[in-house]
Amino acid sequence: MKIKILIPITLLGAISWGQKSEDIIPKDAVTVFSLNNISILQKVSMDELVSYDFMTELQSELFDGSTQGKTLKDAGIDFNQKMNIFYGKNPEFEISGFTFGITDKEKLFTVFDDFDRKESLVAGTEYYNNYFNHLMIQGNLGLLIRVDTDQDKLTEITDSIWTSRGLELPWYEDEYFDEEPMGEYDEEEFTDDDPTLNEDGDEVEEIIEEEVDETPIAVDETNDLFKNYYELRDSIESEYSRKRLELITEELFAKKLNLKAQDTRLAAQLTHPSDGIFYLDNSRNFKNTNSLFYLQAMFPDLYRDLNELYTGNVMLGDIVLNQKSIDLKVEANYGDGLGSIYEELNSAKFDKNVLKYIPNNNTGFFTYKIDLKKGYEKAYEVIMPILSEEKNARISANVLTIELLNDFINTDEVFNTYKGSMFGTFNGIKRVKTKRVEFFYDEETFEYGEKEIEAEEDMPVFTLGFTTGRPDVPNKILKHMSRITSQFKNMGDYWVYEEAILNSVPLYMINKNGLFIFTNDEDLAKNHSNGYGAEAITGKQVKNAAKSGSIYAYMNLGDMINRLPETILNDHRFDVLASMKGKKGEVEVISSKTTRQKTTYNLTYSFDGTYDNAGKYLLDLVNTAYLVSTTR
Amino acid sequence: MRIFLIGFLILALSSCVDIWDDITLHADGTGTYKYTVNMSASKVKINSILALDSVDGKRIPKIPEIREKIEYYRNKLQEKEGISNVRVESDFDNFIFKIIVDFESVSDLQSGIREIIKEEIKEKNDPALNENWLTWDGKTLTRIVPNFQSVIQKMKAEDQEKLKKGKYTCVSRFDKPIAKCDNPQAKISPSKVAGLIESTTYSVGTNPSILKSTFVISN
Repeated sequence: MKIKILIPITLLGAISWGQKSEDIIPKDAVTVFSLNNISILQKVSMDELVSYDFMTELQSELFDGSTQGKTLKDAGIDFNQKMNIFYGKNPEFEISGFTFGITDKEKLFTVFDDFDRKESLVAGTEYYNNYFNHLMIQGNLGLLIRVDTDQDKLTEITDSIWTSRGLELPWYEDEYFDEEPMGEYDEEEFTDDDPTLNEDGDEVEEIIEEEVDETPIAVDETNDLFKNYYELRDSIESEYSRKRLELITEELFAKKLNLKAQDTRLAAQLTHPSDGIFYLDNSRNFKNTNSLFYLQAMFPDLYRDLNELYTGNVMLGDIVLNQKSIDLKVEANYGDGLGSIYEELNSAKFDKNVLKYIPNNNTGFFTYKIDLKKGYEKAYEVIMPILSEEKNARISANVLTIELLNDFINTDEVFNTYKGSMFGTFNGIKRVKTKRVEFFYDEETFEYGEKEIEAEEDMPVFTLGFTTGRPDVPNKILKHMSRITSQFKNMGDYWVYEEAILNSVPLYMINKNGLFIFTNDEDLAKNHSNGYGAEAITGKQVKNAAKSGSIYAYMNLGDMINRLPETILNDHRFDVLASMKGKKGEVEVISSKTTRQKTTYNLTYSFDGTYDNAGKYLLDLVNTAYLVSTTR
Repeated sequence: MRIFLIGFLILALSSCVDIWDDITLHADGTGTYKYTVNMSASKVKINSILALDSVDGKRIPKIPEIREKIEYYRNKLQEKEGISNVRVESDFDNFIFKIIVDFESVSDLQSGIREIIKEEIKEKNDPALNENWLTWDGKTLTRIVPNFQSVIQKMKAEDQEKLKKGKYTCVSRFDKPIAKCDNPQAKISPSKVAGLIESTTYSVGTNPSILKSTFVISN
């Protein structure tokens, strides 16, 4: 009998000891960063680690002083195992966390000292909890995870229970709603610009009842309603998150269902000997988008077909740390349908004229070559049959409209005018001429007066150009604009639109050499409308741009990141920028020829000297990639 | 409160600000007060800020909201006792804002402004609110400007530097000639009925006493 009991225990032990940290990544993770060579992280302090954005969801409880002065080495973490950072979101819930190996559990709990041991959720695992964070330990493996129920879902459930009890939603009578402190909500979130549609997708006229004065509920009563509503919401959230956690734990530790086991592409990527790998499943991002709910509900067949189109759309990457550079290789994989469109789209020839307009002292530039005509034709071939199968009257009408437009419009000339290829440069910050109003006063009476004077302000100087085979078309538009407003002027070699940018700075347009260029660089418009000549870029960058696939990009990181004005960026872009600040060196992105299956992007970040803390560079890169991949 | 946040945000982010602070005081104590803020030197920067949703976690209001709030405060001031004919001119192309107010007495003007500030801010007992910025006894006008020191201290060094380029001009006009002014920086008009003191916005913000002046009017 004892032997019978011992066998499964021994087997269980063998299985769990045989498992590695990458074997406990939840299958619901959509983004994974796996750091192979975490020995380089030994010097990274825990304080630094928890300050990264990818730790944001977890840091509030970790960053409580217990990490002060400690490094990862002091935390009992096994440097022979990978550390896997993951994030996932779907219409039901959101998860984030990391998995790691453990060498010394005692040391681990000097950092995770606020975690209390709880009753195990799955046999053979230890469970520790601290508010919203959960730590699971099985053998020498650790999983730190946070599970949050989707807020929209939560609101829907709470409202449903609340109203089914005959209660009115508490904010209906909230006279203080408008007094919410500025910055804590976005009024646009409360604006519903989308029209209400009936089941055929036609717009339904909404009947808006006039507001009538009703007896407001006493403030105390309203407060009680609020309190009760949010108590109900909190308890639902707590219960849902607990159930979800139980499910994830059971899947991972009892059923051995994990992302690596489910997705062979991640499993293969994890075998790479690089310093770090990443995985981003765009197809699940597509499926999990809440905004597609309407499509899914109203047109299930169309939704299924579009889903199929996105199947296989996964980004896989390797991070390699060299002595004087960091290489990032990213493979964008596609399914057959989408891949065939990308293949045609990216079959354009490189337009060498763009190189004339990139100055050799640029801070950064990109070239992007696509053949919109071929892409359009392939998309028409792939997507139209999917839409045509749909029996819905509105979609059918749209299909007919597209087919007729395709027959009647000279698409060759449309795509000859706008071919799709483009380039852009960032030429640093320059003083640009503006006008300002100055006060003056009469020396006799001290009466106040105003006069307009020339002024200068700092502005980032950008150039954006598009290839065109029909320069006469934009010229027609510009001529028309100059007839209706005096702000548009033909200056011979270029056009100018006065006070176009931010109501202050002129925008120049150059229509030459098969390119239509927008710029706020007065010097380019006035002195280099035919290109920079000998002052244009040459050498390796030119060769690399010409031989690259659909995209080539270069930037002098130190110059660009540190000189970009923070105020022109929104919060998300600012976070990305801040995460890259202080870096020096050059970044070059080269893409491969796009095939039906994939495009490969190689990013090389080279820098002078060597880094004294490679782990920090690696984490900085992971953090930047995390911010880019989790645009919320 | 929002209008003060908007004001602070714009002031803090635009940096280069010219201010024209002009009071006309008649012998009977009535008068007209004009306050003009000119941020046209920073219009590129302000426009780029207004194009954003938020900066440093603070939501950036849209121009229609700012217009609405200005109108709200105009109406509020108009309702105050002893204050009439409140005019606001807003130029959102150049970011120049003017407010012109007629008053029965300087104490009415001061009380009206003070009451609105007290209604809007949380720190209702802020000692700065109890200061007298204007006093007039029929013969002597004493003026000081409120203290903006804490606002300026919160600004980045680079923005503080720009604030040094902004001008603050303080003008006091009377029906009768000025007999004496205790501020050595003051310029008296040839007709002697107006006094003017100029400084930088930064200096006034960090040391409001620069503009402190007492004008004694001749009988």
